[in-house]
Amino acid sequence: MLEIRNLTKIYEDGTLAVDNVSFTVPDGEFLIVIGLSGSGKSTLLRCINRLIDPTEGEILWNGVDLAKLEGDDLRKARRKIGMIFQHFNLVSRSSVMINILAGRLGYARTWPTLLHQFSKKDREKAWDILRRMDIEDQAMKLARELSGGQQQRVGISRALMQDPEMILADEPVASLDPVLAHSILNYLEKLNKEDKLTIICSLHYLDLVQRYATRVVGLRAGKLVYEGTREDIRKMTDEEFKSIYGEEAERITDGIEGALERSELQ
Amino acid sequence: MKSKKQQIYKPKPSLPSLVPPWLAGVLSAILPGLGQAFARQIRRGILILFSFATIIGLLVWRFRLAAPRDTGFMNIVNKAIYLQPLLTGITVVVGLLYLANIYDAVKLATIAGKPEKSKPFLIFIMLILAFFLLGWQIGQIDLYTLTTSFGDAGPALSRVLWPWSRAISFPEDTWRGIAVLETPCSDNPPPPTATLEDRPYLVVDPTCGEPTIQQATDNSGVEIIPGTTLEVKGYNFVPGVVVDLWWIDPATSQFRQRQEGQNVNVIPDENGEFTIDIIWPYRIIPPSYREGVSEWELQGRQITNVGDWEFSAEFNLAVEKMVETIFIGMMATFFGIILSLPFSFLAARNLMSANSFMLGIYYLVRLILNIIRSIEPLIWAILAVIIVGLGPWAGIIALTIHSIAALGKLYSEAIESINSGPIEAITATGANWFQIIVYGVIPQVIPPFVSFTIYRWDINIRMSTIIGLVGGGGIGYLLTQWIRVLDYRAAGIAVWFIALTVAILDYVSAAIRERFT
Ligand SMILES: Nc1ncnc2c1ncn2[C@@H]1O[C@H](COP(=O)(O)OP(=O)(O)OP(=O)(O)O)[C@@H](O)[C@H]1O
Ligand SMILES: [Mg+2]
Repeated sequence: MLEIRNLTKIYEDGTLAVDNVSFTVPDGEFLIVIGLSGSGKSTLLRCINRLIDPTEGEILWNGVDLAKLEGDDLRKARRKIGMIFQHFNLVSRSSVMINILAGRLGYARTWPTLLHQFSKKDREKAWDILRRMDIEDQAMKLARELSGGQQQRVGISRALMQDPEMILADEPVASLDPVLAHSILNYLEKLNKEDKLTIICSLHYLDLVQRYATRVVGLRAGKLVYEGTREDIRKMTDEEFKSIYGEEAERITDGIEGALERSELQ
Repeated sequence: MKSKKQQIYKPKPSLPSLVPPWLAGVLSAILPGLGQAFARQIRRGILILFSFATIIGLLVWRFRLAAPRDTGFMNIVNKAIYLQPLLTGITVVVGLLYLANIYDAVKLATIAGKPEKSKPFLIFIMLILAFFLLGWQIGQIDLYTLTTSFGDAGPALSRVLWPWSRAISFPEDTWRGIAVLETPCSDNPPPPTATLEDRPYLVVDPTCGEPTIQQATDNSGVEIIPGTTLEVKGYNFVPGVVVDLWWIDPATSQFRQRQEGQNVNVIPDENGEFTIDIIWPYRIIPPSYREGVSEWELQGRQITNVGDWEFSAEFNLAVEKMVETIFIGMMATFFGIILSLPFSFLAARNLMSANSFMLGIYYLVRLILNIIRSIEPLIWAILAVIIVGLGPWAGIIALTIHSIAALGKLYSEAIESINSGPIEAITATGANWFQIIVYGVIPQVIPPFVSFTIYRWDINIRMSTIIGLVGGGGIGYLLTQWIRVLDYRAAGIAVWFIALTVAILDYVSAAIRERFT
């Protein structure tokens, strides 16, 4: 269980990005964070695994306050939290295999890893995940040679290498077309349902939110302005959606189904 | 409150002058720039005042320097203008500058408050002209010698530009024919030289006699008593090749036979024989060698080429030192890379902003690198020569120090400009600092690092020729030595080698860098 209490982040330049936000995420939820561009979604997610240090507040995860951890304790906590990114954040000049094995760095001994040496177990694990993600034959390519959808699957593979208990996904499908978006979120849903991983994901499109979320929180100018269950979101109209998002919000044309049908027709 | 703020931001030219134009002119005549200041152009006034004061100061100093030993105002001025006519021109320009300053003040006071009128700029033209002329005088610029002395420099220049006759040499051999003579004549003078079969020899008649004597006369003149006339016959010399006549006196020092101010030489006929009459020359002999009968030796020397051409000693030395230079540059680059790598990571802000301790290290390393970089390699070389002595090692040390600073800066900037996404991702896996560097940073910085390194190698090789000038080994050292002994052809060979190497290097480094970007 993740419990966020009075989280506030003020950047050095004075920007108030997250403003006194509190909510709880029971284990096994697929929580989707919605909000306009600049509303603080990325900042919130990054505070959870401390890529950004929160200014104030507590982040209690299974009773431990992540906001107070330092050094080795922080690294140990990070190992259990996988993260995937909008722009995949792969090391483009390294091979897919190395990118995936990097997910194991928090567990492996430092000196061998500096020479790219990993245990046999780690390597086998990497192959398993590659197979599961259906990118086995890309393993020896450079990350930059892959398509966007393949790159995001490498990103997920890297997160899975961590044996995570929770996955943070910062707009994981925003750089992908609707069909790929769907397939990536399907993977995440599978991890959520089958492996019982807690997933915290920021998204833009109402269709996707309605389809995958088990819970939703909405941010506006850093403040928590909406909290709802699966049922609440299913009932949500475009107008309600826009009240959180503002006028910029939009659906994918024809919705996801429409896009899927079109891709099947071709 | 509000109105006050508005006043501050009001454009200044819209205010009228504080004084009428004529008064502005008078004020500027008293103190250049003062009139402008009163016409509400304070900054312009200050600029004019300081420029004018600087120019006057420099002018006085140059007059004083041109006539350092004179006293009295007029004496100094006359002497200085006589020696340095340009000073007259500068004085005239400074006078015009003074007038332009008055005109400027009057004009500014007139147009003050009328923003549509543009300000006069004559004063600035005069200022630039004055500084330009002063620079010309201080820099001792002399287009006349530049153009006229080209002719005198011609021979030396042509040797430098086309030095290749010095690049090859022919192996030489000296043929000697010898005869032994005695002075003074004793009861048994030496026998004529024995006939030799296949080696040259001299036969001298007579085989004993008296050298020329110089002695002081009573009326402090010098009286010369010519020595014995010797008939020298040479045999078995190489036909057609000049034979020089050399003496070896009883003190075994060598000197050439001179007559009428010329070295005596002779060309043997087709049989390799010659005959020549010479006078036994004058020579100061240490007293200890003059006791009793002393022996003189006459030699006929012939220098002949044997065998094919070969590279001259200078050419070989230039090659050797060029190679040394390239390797000085290479080793300095090599050490520079190794030593600058750790610094570059410590001097990259994006890697060192985790906490204030790391940030402190970052600032410290930056400071050190900046200080080292601001000192020229030439100065490092001088220091290194003091410590380890002349030679390539000093050059390597100097260039290494400079490379550490230069590469450290370039590398750290490359690190700072990398994509932060992968680093974020690697950090999120729970990796530590070293792992983040190896997995997130290094793969991203390899291309720029390769490019910078090649570029540095290129620079280091160019610089090692310069470093050589102060004793840092390599071809630069050789070049200065040859220039000092006026061996322009040898120096030319060195210059050619440097130019060729730099050109080749330029091409190679561009080609390699292209591959990595
Ligand atoms: N490093 C930073 N320094 C200063 N301000 C920042 C920094 N990063 C983000 N911000 C500001 O914080 C606010 C929240 O940014 P954040 O990236 O969290 O928004 P977001 O909801 O993720 O937006 P998007 O949907 O565009 O990704 C914005 O106003 C942004 O300008
Ligand atoms: Mg974001």
